[in-house]
Amino acid sequence: MNFSASHLRAGVRRQLRRPLAVVAVLGPGLIAANAGNDAGGILSYASAGAQYAYRTLFIMVLVTIALVVVQEMSARIGATTGNGLVSLIREQFSLRVATFSVVCLLVANLGLVVSEFAGIGAAMELLGVSRYIAVPTAAIAIWAVVIFGSYRYAERVFILLSLVFLAYPISAILGHPHWGTVASNTALPHLLASRSFLFLVVALIGTTITPYMQLYQTAAVVERGARPSDLRNIRIDSITGSIFANVISMAIIIATAATIGGTGVLRSAAQAAQALEPVAGSAAKTLFAIGLLGASLLAAAVVPLATSYALAEAIGVERSVSRTFRDAKAFLGLFTVQLVIGAAIALAPGNLIDLLINMQFLNGLISPVLLTFILILANRRTLMGDNVNGKKFRALATICTVAVAALAAFVALQSIVSALS
Amino acid sequence: MARPSKLLYPVRARTARVTHNRRVREQLVSVAGLIGRPVLLPDGRDVGRVVDIIVRGTDRSYPAVSGLVARVGRRRVFVPVAHIEQLTRTQVTLSSPQLDVRDYQRRDGEVLLMGDVVDHQLVDIDGVQVVRASDLYLSGVAGPVRLVGVEVGVGTLLRRLGPARFRTRATPERVIDWADIEPLGHHGAVQIDRRNRELRRLRPGDLADLLEQVGRPQRDHLVGALDADLAADALEEMDEQQRDEVIRNLDPQRAATIIAEMEPDEAAETLREVDDERRDVIVDQLPAAAGAAIRTLLGYSRDTAGGIMTTVVIFATETETVAEVAARLPQYGDHRSDIDGVLIVDADGRLLDDVSLFELLVAERDAAMGSLVGPPWPIVVEVDATLDEIVDATLSNRRGSIVVADGQGRPLGRILADDVLDALAPGRGRLHRDVGEQ
Repeated sequence: MNFSASHLRAGVRRQLRRPLAVVAVLGPGLIAANAGNDAGGILSYASAGAQYAYRTLFIMVLVTIALVVVQEMSARIGATTGNGLVSLIREQFSLRVATFSVVCLLVANLGLVVSEFAGIGAAMELLGVSRYIAVPTAAIAIWAVVIFGSYRYAERVFILLSLVFLAYPISAILGHPHWGTVASNTALPHLLASRSFLFLVVALIGTTITPYMQLYQTAAVVERGARPSDLRNIRIDSITGSIFANVISMAIIIATAATIGGTGVLRSAAQAAQALEPVAGSAAKTLFAIGLLGASLLAAAVVPLATSYALAEAIGVERSVSRTFRDAKAFLGLFTVQLVIGAAIALAPGNLIDLLINMQFLNGLISPVLLTFILILANRRTLMGDNVNGKKFRALATICTVAVAALAAFVALQSIVSALS
Repeated sequence: MARPSKLLYPVRARTARVTHNRRVREQLVSVAGLIGRPVLLPDGRDVGRVVDIIVRGTDRSYPAVSGLVARVGRRRVFVPVAHIEQLTRTQVTLSSPQLDVRDYQRRDGEVLLMGDVVDHQLVDIDGVQVVRASDLYLSGVAGPVRLVGVEVGVGTLLRRLGPARFRTRATPERVIDWADIEPLGHHGAVQIDRRNRELRRLRPGDLADLLEQVGRPQRDHLVGALDADLAADALEEMDEQQRDEVIRNLDPQRAATIIAEMEPDEAAETLREVDDERRDVIVDQLPAAAGAAIRTLLGYSRDTAGGIMTTVVIFATETETVAEVAARLPQYGDHRSDIDGVLIVDADGRLLDDVSLFELLVAERDAAMGSLVGPPWPIVVEVDATLDEIVDATLSNRRGSIVVADGQGRPLGRILADDVLDALAPGRGRLHRDVGEQ
């Protein structure tokens, strides 16, 4: 027991910062924001491109602004306080409010785990393996790799695999999209009032501004030992990271729109893979599957670890998680339970793509809750000192949060009403 | 809850802990439970609600409650302990109907138990761990109401989330006596004496571990308050990256004070990653001899013998007697772990032999050091020897250390086997992390 327990303690601390070591040249902001381009992200963007062609691009511009604002705040909170978001929430809010936020986070992250397993299933089906074999195997493999050790190497492989998606921008160019339409849809404000469009917008927000990413951003900045004096660099890193991530996201939308845009709702990963045909030709399917598998495996291991760590942080046992058998057991248990639930839901009959996008929608509903906490923390002068939100920034951040919250609430209500009627 | 590591600590006579007393345990007042409960006038009228409990002087073993903050109407007012007739689990009764209705302003040295301590990190010195307080317990069994313990159980969090009638019930689950607690980074003055006295109970490795575990502000706060020698010991054991961070953030004067307490090779190691400008400022403030030694060490590249060696070496001439050399040894007491032998040098400072402490101990007291020169001959590497060469030399050696010398054979320092281990396995961190956890 002690082997795995002490492994876990040292492991988790390291795992949160290890991605940084892997790609040492990249800043935490870049990695955090690009974590949005996981299985859920790729298929949501592909779905947007397939169903509405270029129409969601303007929304993505707005989402990019919101992402920049949020990631910058998260990074600034980390650099200023030297503490993680969850422990700050525990210290700064009443226990009930803190519990609410942690529960939200758990649900959002569980949604992510589900969607990662759906991504694994979809990727393996593309490669001709049934998901009923692929998903349980992956769950067991991830569990074993994280608990028994060679996660570090596995992670590097996953990251390398997921770099496949850097092919999207090339594919977007080679696919000869209608650049005029792209430009007008990006620059001119518009919104379709249909319910399915708004639903998709919330899912896009959920997958781009995932609560997990803010958590990661703050943790990574703290782990790096950044200080208020490093704020300038941290700010540049979080802003460029967010913008870069969303350029890739928009490239996915454009590439998909150029190949299968307007053909209606995305039904399978095979359809989404067609977007890579301009660059990979007949190998597009395999290439897409490899990338999707890498991104999904990576997140399927990291997200449940981060959740377990966040809960440990909230309860206050994060530092001693390996010192007593009971705590470590609870910690291990939580990690295991997430994998089991995630894999089980991904195995339930139904369309994997729908499941995936529903989970992003769930994240989209929860994301405003975490945004509100981040906003309040960043507004609090007693915590942030001179690095507190300035007036203009505060106004912008409030608008972003309120807009995201209002949209999520509206679409949620609409869904409930339509479900009842 | 096995803590086998405790067995490794020197057994220390403990004063009795208040929370071990049965009467106290049965009548604990939960701070979290008391928040939001009514404040009553002597005639029983309800005038407000408890907002927070104030103690002063968290340096004492069991600080007394000095008052409370109450919400009366729209104001948050201070109620001094002198005006409190009775404080129970569910309510506070005042002894006087007069209330100071000015808004409460925190004064120096005041700690708000709910605002500053509950849900925050604390160091449990007895269990050598960083904990987060789920609740605090007060006791008025022996005179004035005092803070006696910290609850760190998870079940207590559930109790606090539950309905009001459960919230006031103390649920001692995993209680740590306040006397074993080191509060971190609260407002107000903290007495450094108690802190250092208590923290001296820890081994440097454990202290380093704690410093690595707490949040950055708490860490800076702790390092700032430690005695320089204690801080130096702990820093030497810390993870390199975190150590750099601590040094980066210290005031240079303070950093110099701490570094002056380190062995020269550890000091050089600590300063190696600090940016040049800051390093110069720090080294300039060191005592001249230490500063010069560290500058020399920093001049060597880190993977060569010069970068790894310690410069704490004892020289002797051929004509000195064993007794004279032995008499000089006590002054190296602070460096005892770096002393492996005595270097006998000729008039030009060239190495003749490395005499182990054993040889010295069994030699005739009035024999000349020169008579001890003879096989086994010491293994010597040059100052620019690579790590591979050092490893080979250490392996071919039958002793715990090898000698580093310049091109002319003049000894500059010594490399101990454990320095070689550190250099070979830098990623492993210090072993303290897992020692005692097995």
